[in-house]
Amino acid sequence: MHSTIAERSLVSNLVGRLEVRMLGLALILGAALSILSPHFLTSNNLWNVLDQSVVVGIVAIGMTFVILIGGIDLSVGSIAGLTGVILGRGLEHFPIAIAIVLALIAGMVIGLFSGTLIAQFGLPAFVVTLGVMAIGRSLAYIFSGATAIADLPYKFGDMVYTSVLGIPANVLTLLVLYGLAWAYLNLTKGGRTIYAIGSNREAARTAGLNVLAFSILPYVISGGLSAVAITFSSAQVMSIDPVAGTGLELDAIAAVVIGGASLYGGRGSILGTLIGVLIMVMIRNGLNLLNVSPFWQGSAIGAVIIAAVLVERLLSSRAFSR
Amino acid sequence: MKVEDSEAAVQSRAGARPMLVAVGIEKAFDRTRALAGAELDVYAGEVMGLLGANGAGKSTLSKVISGHVVRDAGSISLEGRMLSLRTAREAIQQGITMVMQETSLAPDLSVLENIFLAELGRQGRLSYRRLKRQSEEILDRLGQKETLPLDREVRLLSAAQRQLVEIAKALALNSTLIIFDEPTASLSPPEVERLFQIMTTLKRAGHTLVFVSHRLEEVFAITDRVTVMREGRTVAKSLETGTLSQAELIRLMVGQEVKPTVWQGMKSSVGLPLRPAVLEVKNLSSLPAVRDVSFKVHEGEILGLGGLVGAGRSETVEAIFGLRPRQRGEFLLNGKRYAPRCAADAIRAGIGFVAEDRRVQGIVPDFSVRENLLLGHLAASRKFGLGYSQRRLKVDELIQSLGLPAQRLDTHLLNFSGGMQQKIIIARWLLLDPLLLLLDEPTKGVDIGTRTSIYAMLRQVAESGVGIVVISSDFEELLSLCERIVVMSDGLSIAHVPSGMLNEEKLTLFAAPRTSMEKNSGFLRDIARDLNAAAFWTLIDQDRLFCLYAAVSNDQADPGFRAADTPRIDSTRIPTALGAKSENFVIEPGDQLATLLLSVRSARGHDMGWVGVTMDSRSPLPSARQLREQIGAFLARIIKSP
Repeated sequence: MHSTIAERSLVSNLVGRLEVRMLGLALILGAALSILSPHFLTSNNLWNVLDQSVVVGIVAIGMTFVILIGGIDLSVGSIAGLTGVILGRGLEHFPIAIAIVLALIAGMVIGLFSGTLIAQFGLPAFVVTLGVMAIGRSLAYIFSGATAIADLPYKFGDMVYTSVLGIPANVLTLLVLYGLAWAYLNLTKGGRTIYAIGSNREAARTAGLNVLAFSILPYVISGGLSAVAITFSSAQVMSIDPVAGTGLELDAIAAVVIGGASLYGGRGSILGTLIGVLIMVMIRNGLNLLNVSPFWQGSAIGAVIIAAVLVERLLSSRAFSR
Repeated sequence: MKVEDSEAAVQSRAGARPMLVAVGIEKAFDRTRALAGAELDVYAGEVMGLLGANGAGKSTLSKVISGHVVRDAGSISLEGRMLSLRTAREAIQQGITMVMQETSLAPDLSVLENIFLAELGRQGRLSYRRLKRQSEEILDRLGQKETLPLDREVRLLSAAQRQLVEIAKALALNSTLIIFDEPTASLSPPEVERLFQIMTTLKRAGHTLVFVSHRLEEVFAITDRVTVMREGRTVAKSLETGTLSQAELIRLMVGQEVKPTVWQGMKSSVGLPLRPAVLEVKNLSSLPAVRDVSFKVHEGEILGLGGLVGAGRSETVEAIFGLRPRQRGEFLLNGKRYAPRCAADAIRAGIGFVAEDRRVQGIVPDFSVRENLLLGHLAASRKFGLGYSQRRLKVDELIQSLGLPAQRLDTHLLNFSGGMQQKIIIARWLLLDPLLLLLDEPTKGVDIGTRTSIYAMLRQVAESGVGIVVISSDFEELLSLCERIVVMSDGLSIAHVPSGMLNEEKLTLFAAPRTSMEKNSGFLRDIARDLNAAAFWTLIDQDRLFCLYAAVSNDQADPGFRAADTPRIDSTRIPTALGAKSENFVIEPGDQLATLLLSVRSARGHDMGWVGVTMDSRSPLPSARQLREQIGAFLARIIKSP
């Protein structure tokens, strides 16, 4: 029923958009790395790249929602740390599924708290999530006793190492989540409302859209996905550390920005974010393969972020002066 | 400084040659031409009024002269020297300062620091004591030493106080030419009064002032000469204010002959039976802007909401559309109670709203034309999905009627002209087959040609049975578009008049802020009570009268009309007296009513109607002369000369 619109928005997303240029960049990067290193273009390594994309990729979905409404969520790393600890404590008492659901609910509740403060009381997103970031990390230390929780049930690791149709479960989840997020943002009332709010909050309000609810929802999604991300990360290393997820917010924001989203809101796409995540992980992976000191990774990723924003500014100012 | 000295200085300085001459000024912002050959001459020591409707280019011209905006073409000379102003600082160095509409003060600094903001950038140490002494001296000169605490932070000040800081700042910079851009926009009447006193003081002290406004009474009250602008051009330059009438000025501002007696050719619609009401608003209050508003909109009718900026018109329609909470009052939509809690309720009930500021409140810039068109649908929808496809036929039909090629449906809305953007925003609601359409300033920022097509579109929509409410500050637009006009002032709906009975002057008088009418009506009530009579203020235009206020304390003396009534003279109870217009009591033949009428003229001799007192002649009448003196003394007080 929505096929024509889906096609149309897919086409308009693909033609002449920033994420297409970023896809080009990703491909060039991939080509360069496969020439420079014989190990890059091996199926093992490519699976590796996807595997390394899972945690930041899942968090970046929520960050995309938040940035689309013109907000920012600095607390995702801390929420990941805290919900990880909640998950670890849950696993001591409950079956695996229930522990995961508890962590997920905790993440969403924290997101609801931030989102409500931001949308209902008009507090700056930067400040609120900065506060939540500090509180979350501190609670993670307190609940964990400041030590890693290591003795997780061995079955817990299955959720990463089971593969479906030859695809590891964590990569499959990542792709499914991106598919769902794309569908939500492009094919539902809520998704378009999020774009409208980010593009012009006042016009969205005047047109009768539910600005309040859809300004809170992205933070709830972001909090929930932070919990999902830490679940996969914990299952991978079979250990839960209260410092887990530190710096995750910066990686997620970087991925969204590289993917072409505007920090002012209203502009950006989930596809772009996925490409942004892949570019970041590829740079890390490639520099490792080339035996470049890991200290250079920051510079490389930082340069890409600044270049991405610069390109966006140059193109959008040209678009507006027309 | 002694007043006599400065008066003499003004006399000597006011030479034959203008102090400031601006010729052929042009300025375009993007695609809109704000100025297209604007001119202004200002003579030293005078108060020049710069008058024009909204969007005429007054503010832009002021900003060009004060260096805030760089002109595209034209020349400005000050005392014979050509000026090429690129920044406000350069203008200030030449002695030209502008007191802005939105004040340009630093809110977190103190009054003193703001007055000497320019000094703060200077090198070396600041002597606060010296600055303090200087600003006290400046405020003293303005006679406002008490009104402004120097150490108070500016953000804590009232709008009037901030303006005073701006003026003091201009004086601290030794400005000779001070431009006031719509200075009264956010002031209460007593504050306006005080501003005018300050301006008079400044004029006496030898300063030259430019007063930008669209309020006629103020222009008459304060200016020596008037320059009128329309659509970026100067249409009348340096006319002596004293030689002008309101009608002449309105004609210059609006650019069309104001019909002297509009109701001679009464519009056909006045006599037609109205169709059922779509919306009835009863005693709506949505504080602070809306206090008590009632009106009805009928099927197929275009109703105008007239009034000045700040009268509460936008807030009224926002309350109807569920964007603003109500304290009191109710709505009946098609006869059924309707109580919106949010805009989505209003949309689902069949109401559409086109807000005043298209860019800020209408357009979603990152959306295509199609999605902008479907935004109202999205808000009304209760589905999880988009449901765009169910509207596809209607979308195609609408864009065809707008003359928009189908392939442009997926391009950005911002690439279209202002008029087309507006039509698309209107079509956003037509897509939902509304019962009622609310439009706030629908032709703001739209060029004249496209206006006509928007009017045609609205008429067509009305003919299909939709009730339409149009808010406009452009009175000519209201008069030509609407069948009936509800005049609002200070949050009250004060008159419901068929537009055929109005012209721009009468609309202006009706729309005058009630606070300024309050004194007058209070006085009339006092007279009516004291004399056990009726006292009223009315305009008389041939065979019809236009009652601005009536206080009736004695039913035996009821003249037969009330405030905002527009009866024919022969249908009132005092036709003879109204015909005679006598300063002495005229007794109606065959009746006991005795009426005296006193002409009201402004300080410059403009007709502002008649004040009348009607009494029961069976009781002893007071001395007509005494009554005349009593009323005259009051009128002299409220209609002050500058």
